[in-house]
Amino acid sequence: MKQLHTFDEVYDSQKVFRKILDVMANPGRVCDIQEESDKLFGEHKEFLALSMTLLDNSVSFATFGDRELDEQIILLTHARPEEPSKADFLFLYDQGQVEEAIRTAKCGTLENPHSSATILYKIQEEEAKRMAALSGPGVDGILEEPLCGQIVEAVKIRDGQGYEYPAGIDFLFLLPRGRLIGIPRLTKMEET
Amino acid sequence: MIDSYNYAFLDEGSKREIRRSILKAVAIPGYQVPFGSRELPIGRGWGTGGIQLTLSLIGPGDTLKVIDQGSDDSVNAVNIKKFVKMCTDVPCTIHTKDATIIQTRHRIPEVPMTNEQILVLQVPIPEPLRIVEPQEEVTKKMHAEMDYAPIWLQLYESLIKYGKITIGSEYPCMVEDRYIMNPSPIPKFDNPKLHNSQCLYLFGAGREKKIYAIPPHTKVVSLAFDDIPFEREDFAGKRCRLCGSTDTYLDEIFDSNTGERYYQCSDTSYCKEVRSR
Repeated sequence: MKQLHTFDEVYDSQKVFRKILDVMANPGRVCDIQEESDKLFGEHKEFLALSMTLLDNSVSFATFGDRELDEQIILLTHARPEEPSKADFLFLYDQGQVEEAIRTAKCGTLENPHSSATILYKIQEEEAKRMAALSGPGVDGILEEPLCGQIVEAVKIRDGQGYEYPAGIDFLFLLPRGRLIGIPRLTKMEET
Repeated sequence: MIDSYNYAFLDEGSKREIRRSILKAVAIPGYQVPFGSRELPIGRGWGTGGIQLTLSLIGPGDTLKVIDQGSDDSVNAVNIKKFVKMCTDVPCTIHTKDATIIQTRHRIPEVPMTNEQILVLQVPIPEPLRIVEPQEEVTKKMHAEMDYAPIWLQLYESLIKYGKITIGSEYPCMVEDRYIMNPSPIPKFDNPKLHNSQCLYLFGAGREKKIYAIPPHTKVVSLAFDDIPFEREDFAGKRCRLCGSTDTYLDEIFDSNTGERYYQCSDTSYCKEVRSR
């Protein structure tokens, strides 16, 4: 029988989850999931590692027209492909689709803010770094650090949506070499 | 470790659902995220929410500490440790600084937690508004609209009636100026430890099927009036009879034979550490 991957659903999922939790609880922190994602296959193996950690048949996802990625995620997780406006997880790697993805992603309601989408944005080539000041829960005071241009732009587009907190969307950014950064909805960013 | 169980007892689908809920809880501090609380070989109300969080977090690299009212050796703590050890291979410790995950009932350890640690709290009643409104549908709406007048009124009535706010534990607090949250039945003494902390706090209510969180460096303010500040328990003039500490949360022990009252640290491992210095 052909082995599709060696990603361990129990132990590797646990490791990846703890790293996701670490970056979401500490916005701006970078964690590395390359070791675990190298056990998967294809062009977007980091997406697949995140999918196997977070997705199953009780949630939906959208990939913005990448049929191959759709099929891989369904094969591994049995999650439902869905329109971007209804999906729980949005997988994104084309810079040209970022604005559309953020505008269409569901942001939850004031009563049920947890029914919002999480955008997983894979940045294939980092644009020039820009200094940004992060603040909010998980950040000790103000954290000034250089972030790649795509992250700064994506967060600016999100902020421009004017969500009424607790409604909002959360970001998980995947940088080259399996590096992960989380920017949840309450994190404020100002370019310095 | 018993191999016939899945690692950390829960099936992977259950862990994934709990993990997704944890991430939403971290993104919306103080908001109670509903989740499908699983059956465990422990009755609901005995820490099943905390156990499910611990089992969804834990992995081979972790070290676990479990405390119950500050004690490492009480029945609830010992049985939870036995259960987790039965279905994982993680070592357990009594030393707060050595643990990566600490599951607790009713206390926050005296030793300051670090950013690498996660504190999991067992919660019996997660809804701070339950005391003023019995219907879940209504309290959900009240949170959505930030309609917190009834709970302020309850504090005010307590002041008028007794001259002080009489809530002993589960003292409500405001998280990031948005959600009123029940910090679980920790004493008021521990409430300030929630504010701008280094560690991540996760709260699990198994019977009520809710998970909520306070990420590190989050603003958590215990409810108080401008002219009546929040007050912790006062242990002025008292000290632990074993280690002599005067700055810890003390349990009162009454000897019915002699009529004497003693005080000793509620956090037993901290007390032992002080004595061994």
